[in-house]
Amino acid sequence: MPDHHSHGERHTHVHPRALRLGVCGPVGTGKSSLIALLCRELAGRLSLAVVTNDIYTDEDARFLRSAGVLDADRIRAVETGACPHTAIRDDISANLMAVEELEDDYGDLDLVLVESGGDNLTATFSPALVDAQVFVLDVAGGGDVARKGGPGIERADLLVVNKTDLAPYVGVDVAQMVADATVARGTRPVIGLSRLDGTSISELLSWVEATLDAHRTGALVPQDPGPMARHVHAHEH
Amino acid sequence: MHPDLLLMLLADARLPVAGHTQSATVEAAIAHGLTTHDVPAYVRTRLQSVTLVEAGTAVVARHAALTGASVDVVETAWAARTPSAALRASSRGQGRALVRLAGRLWPEVLPGLAEVRAPGRATVLGVVAAHLALGPEPLARLIGYDDVQTVCAAVLKLAPTDPSVVTGWVVDSLPDVDRLAATVAHLEEPADVPAVGCPQIEAWAEAHARTSRRLFRA
Repeated sequence: MPDHHSHGERHTHVHPRALRLGVCGPVGTGKSSLIALLCRELAGRLSLAVVTNDIYTDEDARFLRSAGVLDADRIRAVETGACPHTAIRDDISANLMAVEELEDDYGDLDLVLVESGGDNLTATFSPALVDAQVFVLDVAGGGDVARKGGPGIERADLLVVNKTDLAPYVGVDVAQMVADATVARGTRPVIGLSRLDGTSISELLSWVEATLDAHRTGALVPQDPGPMARHVHAHEH
Repeated sequence: MHPDLLLMLLADARLPVAGHTQSATVEAAIAHGLTTHDVPAYVRTRLQSVTLVEAGTAVVARHAALTGASVDVVETAWAARTPSAALRASSRGQGRALVRLAGRLWPEVLPGLAEVRAPGRATVLGVVAAHLALGPEPLARLIGYDDVQTVCAAVLKLAPTDPSVVTGWVVDSLPDVDRLAATVAHLEEPADVPAVGCPQIEAWAEAHARTSRRLFRA
């Protein structure tokens, strides 16, 4: 797959290949559901594919296939040998091969979503694997997580605070959690997301479409959120 | 530059070819009842069967690449001696990762592989070794050593025990690796590649390819 456009293609897209968008974050925060949501909303107008990095089963791939939002063959699982962190960061070979296979099999792809196997707060994607990345937290994981920070929370291209509809049941102040995240992230966007809140879904879709546009014009430069938190606090290790 | 350095590079688990996704079928073996106690025997069995086929294939592919003979015929000989479709698929996946890396580091190796549609790992390593001026015996040792380490590293993930004990198994297997290298180092013709499968390992590999619960690709 060529990394650079040929001169003949310059008038259409600077980037002839699909946008590779990573989705990472701790286990259970709703990465698969977010991907299913994107597939459901975007499959009508974009050509999509998904690579999942399941930790010990093909559960995530099966979940997405059974959701019926995408042709089953467009969803491929990559095993990570109990090293989900390695597979998205230092040795990305298995994931890259899966992405390239999908790009070879479906020449018209616009967007490839790569779902990390849920890991801890330090796991982010290598910029050699994805062009942009979404870090997913959820309110049920605790209102203080956004404040604790970490590379994904602080510097992923987008931070999603998911399941905001659960906030009243888990005693979390969503506005405060989003505000904490915003402080940690400076100008980088934060979206409080609920599958029951159409406005938040529109916000997410707009971000994805703007990112795809930036990728196509060549304005998007993949960034590494880094392996480390920006600040070291006494309670962190 | 001394070729040993390139040998170390190729044997290093940090080589970015997704080695961390491989268990050399030991995950399936453990799932089907192999105990940690059996692992040294499992390693020995591999070195006398499936890994011997891999090493012989790599040595003959190296010879073909050096003499201008068909590498594809070597690949076919390997496939004929690897009856498990799962093992062939796994080797071809690893071969692809290696082609990807070698194509960046040593693009000159790619034409030597062009005639093979989806070369397995042994074929690719043989052609790479020819380009890097690695001898047949070091190449065979590399295949044997890597196989032992792949099993043992995966066991530490699957059934953790004192890692020094596991490294002791690796050390204990080194004479077997040497024997394997001596057995195949002189081979030149595709017909010479050993035809010694291991039906139990092949059956486990097939079962692993069908399960929906696994940590390792193969």
